[in-house]
Amino acid sequence: MWASGAISDEDKLDRAETGKVLRRSLHFAEPYRRTIYWAVGLVCVSTAATVAGPVFVKFGLDHGIGESSARALNIAVVAYLVTVAIGYVVGRLQYLAINRAGEGFLRDLRIAVFDRLQAQSMAFFDRNKAGVLVSRMTADIESMGELIQWGLLQFVAAGLLLVMTIILMAVMSWQLTLMVLLFVAPVLGFASVRFQRQSNAAYLDVRERVGTNLGNLQEGITGVRVIQAYGREAEQHRRFVSSNRALYASHLRSVRVSTWYFGLVEWAGITSIALVIGVGGFLVHHGSVDFGTVAAFVLLLANLFEPVQQLSQLYNTVQSAAASLHKLYGLMDAEPDVAEHPRPVELPAEGELVAHGVTFTYDGTERPALHDVSISVRPGERLALVGPTGAGKSTLAKLLSRLYDPTSGHVSYGDVDVRLVSLASLRQRVVVVPQEGFLFGGTIRDNIRIARPGATDAEVADALEAIGVLERFEEFAEGLDTEVRERGSRLSAGERQLVSLARAALVDPAVLVLDEATSNLDPGTEAIVERALERLMEGRAVIVVAHRLSTVRRADRIGVIDHARLVELGTHDELLAQGGRYAALAEAWARSQPTV
Amino acid sequence: MLAEQKGGLIAGMVVGLLWSASKVTVPKLTSLAVDRAILGDGSLVFWSSLIGVMAVVAGTFTAWRRWFAFRESRLTETKLREQLFAHIMRLHVAYHDHTQTGQLMSRASSDLLQIQGFVVMIPITASNLAMVSAIVVILFVQQPLLALVALAPLPFLNVLATRFSRRIHPAVLAVQQEQAQLATVVEESVSGVRVIKGFGAHEVTAARLRTEADDIRNVSVQAAKVRSAFLPALDLLPNLGLLAVLALGGHMVLDGDMSRGQMLEFMQYIGLLIFPLRNLGMTVAFGQRAAAALLRVDEVLSTAPAVADAASPRTLPGDAPVGAVEFDHVSFGYSADAPVLRDFHLSIPPGASVAVVGATGGGKSTVARLLIRFYDVTEGVIRVDGVDIRDLRLSELRREVSVVFEDTFLFHDSVGANVAFARPDASAADVEAAARLSGAHDFIASLPEGYDTVIGERGYSLSGGQRQRIALARAILANPRVLILDDATSAVDPSKEHEIREAMRTVMDGRTTIVIAHRPGTIALADTVVLLDEGGVAATGTHDELLATNERYREVLAALMDDDDIDAEVSG
Repeated sequence: MWASGAISDEDKLDRAETGKVLRRSLHFAEPYRRTIYWAVGLVCVSTAATVAGPVFVKFGLDHGIGESSARALNIAVVAYLVTVAIGYVVGRLQYLAINRAGEGFLRDLRIAVFDRLQAQSMAFFDRNKAGVLVSRMTADIESMGELIQWGLLQFVAAGLLLVMTIILMAVMSWQLTLMVLLFVAPVLGFASVRFQRQSNAAYLDVRERVGTNLGNLQEGITGVRVIQAYGREAEQHRRFVSSNRALYASHLRSVRVSTWYFGLVEWAGITSIALVIGVGGFLVHHGSVDFGTVAAFVLLLANLFEPVQQLSQLYNTVQSAAASLHKLYGLMDAEPDVAEHPRPVELPAEGELVAHGVTFTYDGTERPALHDVSISVRPGERLALVGPTGAGKSTLAKLLSRLYDPTSGHVSYGDVDVRLVSLASLRQRVVVVPQEGFLFGGTIRDNIRIARPGATDAEVADALEAIGVLERFEEFAEGLDTEVRERGSRLSAGERQLVSLARAALVDPAVLVLDEATSNLDPGTEAIVERALERLMEGRAVIVVAHRLSTVRRADRIGVIDHARLVELGTHDELLAQGGRYAALAEAWARSQPTV
Repeated sequence: MLAEQKGGLIAGMVVGLLWSASKVTVPKLTSLAVDRAILGDGSLVFWSSLIGVMAVVAGTFTAWRRWFAFRESRLTETKLREQLFAHIMRLHVAYHDHTQTGQLMSRASSDLLQIQGFVVMIPITASNLAMVSAIVVILFVQQPLLALVALAPLPFLNVLATRFSRRIHPAVLAVQQEQAQLATVVEESVSGVRVIKGFGAHEVTAARLRTEADDIRNVSVQAAKVRSAFLPALDLLPNLGLLAVLALGGHMVLDGDMSRGQMLEFMQYIGLLIFPLRNLGMTVAFGQRAAAALLRVDEVLSTAPAVADAASPRTLPGDAPVGAVEFDHVSFGYSADAPVLRDFHLSIPPGASVAVVGATGGGKSTVARLLIRFYDVTEGVIRVDGVDIRDLRLSELRREVSVVFEDTFLFHDSVGANVAFARPDASAADVEAAARLSGAHDFIASLPEGYDTVIGERGYSLSGGQRQRIALARAILANPRVLILDDATSAVDPSKEHEIREAMRTVMDGRTTIVIAHRPGTIALADTVVLLDEGGVAATGTHDELLATNERYREVLAALMDDDDIDAEVSG
């Protein structure tokens, strides 16, 4: 078995951290404590059975054959048979026990990490790359699964086997044991430590080059149209070959490491047989050991070499599992920064949504994304936010809906600070409708119901009806029970947006926060989505991050955000008269219109 | 492919045979040493030194066997991957349209790994087989009865290992499937976090994750049950062999039919047989999986590129004026039942420029794609300077006809190399001149390392407008007879577009150009405008003429304008 794990220097834990991870894991595995004790007990028994085999061979050789006693030989045979049977049964049980405990542990870990992840604020998801979060929950935990399936068992069993074998050898003949250890320990110790280091480095190198090579491969495939358009196939191939050959070279370096190690171990194994025969034979001639002891040593030598090889290969895997656990625990320790107040109050049914001098700075940046902005939205009023990309209009929308908490200042609804209210009641009043209709696996109905898990089928239908699109979805062969398939590939972009609007209709909030889609739909669908949106907005306060002038024109008031500040606020006509940023923008738009 | 590696494979086989010979010798030597030197009066030093020498030999061959096996298998993998890549680069665009990137990626990665995993087993299994046969012969020659009894359980090792591989495979697949489902839930919850936060829908996703986590545990425990049924049995069988040697062999020694050294030798030989026999079962299972992977790889390799060079290609006439383009009653559709162009007829004289205007999805970009033979027309002929483009070499056609696409694909390389994409040997001065013309030089010069700044998916990221300017520079440097600008300035800030317009005018001067655009300023750059409607040319004229006379033209233009994003304008 070739170790699959490797660990980079920055991931390597020091002793104190390793201890902490271990203690925490033991604590986390509390529900499985009895299974774990049971498994450890079984491992001890099965290892003892493995070691016992050669002992009975020795007994049979010395007392049966050596003393010409058929009875002693038969005793040895029966004892061996019993040991083998015990080893087999215990082997099965230990395997099951360790897997039950391990898989249960991983299940709990998955759930705990995920729950913690979900409790984090939007800011957390902005800070952390989606890919990294997903791989924590998948690759990191899965790699531990491999360890649990066979590694942990082997790790413990190999250690035990090594210790038991040495003790047994020492009991049989301390002279021979000393001689074997004097040769084996330095050679194997030195070689294994070196191998463990080199293979770790080689594996990391391979992993990196695999990544680069896959990157080039992917670039070639996704860029194939440009490559063909400019006749660059040969050049691109040449570049791929160079990274592919670098990967090959890296593989060879890694093979070289294992090559010398396995060769050396083979040499040391046979050399120790030679030593046992030579020195053991000498001791037999002098009557200080029996021949059976020498034979048992020859057979027991395998028990020394195999575990050392296994341990040195598993070492990296165990270390990288500890590093993964460390990261996962770190994720579990991250305190959610937009948390519910311990004694939350309910929001009033209606009220004004007000930002009081809010400032917001993203973690890791110095300049605030939004600086001292005060703005309010009355019930039923429509407010459009415009401004250049990155000026802070989306940030303001997120603060108003408490996806973030402001760094200073506060947001209130009906004169209640939104940080004091229960998240559930806030989400009933203020709903954020994302740019594009994101779909989860499941049916159309499931996807709408995500907004209010308790809603009945009739309520879901009502929500669709409220925005005037029920018929459109009922036309599908399976109606609302149509599976949307991965990422909604069966629904068009427009239909996905309609699902998103229906979700909001199902909640029936007082305030809608919209981030207008920047991507274009075909004109037919566009009109349907527009109509549905219009019906959804009716009678509600709306804050829209606008990208199109047609949307801006329909707003009651317009706020222009530039460089993190609210620079203009008023109606379309007022702002035009003011002759500032908004006026310039409206003019630029008019200029680029075709002169009809 | 394998023929080139014949040398390496033969070396691997020879080393493997020598390895088996050395391995088989050790128990024999041990047995002789026991009987002659420990129990007899031979020289201990001589016999143990002999074993010591064999240790060096066996160690050396162990290393070499491993080395050759892995080297050759990695080489096979490496070469196959290169062959696959070269082929993928040549496959027609329609193939790529309906093949997911992930599919091709896994052909060139995980499938090749499975093949490699099997190739490495070939020399190793061959030498294992040689060793197994040698041991069986030795044991039978010495003590036929004992050999029969001791070896009896061992074939079951092979049976068990084969069965195990077969039974564990679906169990492992089930685990992977459940893991993939959990990954989907996590992935959706992370990418859809806005929806979940917006509606406070944590409970729903948490419940889904719990289900998936339970499923993984359950199938994993199932897989563990399969393993627990087989793995301890693999340990059991050789022990039964050893037991037989002790029981039957012990009595034979007592009866004087066998020496004690021979008994030890038997035990050692049985120990040697364990791994090769287990391996054999694995090899069979690996072979089956590798065969399936090879089939999938071959499916890609045996797909012939549908757009390829003509058997006896013609060349473009070299004498000026060049750049005449003719779409001669062309029809085309991406699928047979949905024609995009119908009897499309357009003739552009050398050096002229034409703007193609039409509704989104109306086939404008298709015109561009047909002209560089991303697809072949279903009816009619496209000619460049009087030659049917299907009669040209692809390399020549695409050297003389360049397209600047709407979404610019940048490679993970320096800015300079990205500009010099079509002409990797271009001088730095030429690259800079092209970048100046496209209005890219100023921002490139302000990048941390200027033209050497590494960009692309894994490098410095550029804005849409900056990317398009690089694409324009790319086309300028290519210096083609015919240039197609497919919405090539859509992401450029309109307030800056006039700067590029100057550049475009220079580039278009005296060069046949097809402009696909939706901003009136850009459309007006062209000598004539063609309105593409319902797959054919609905009207031709100058921009002003069409605006004044054609109702449909005004409609289409207004719809295109409405799509335009205003963000860029605000920041101007």
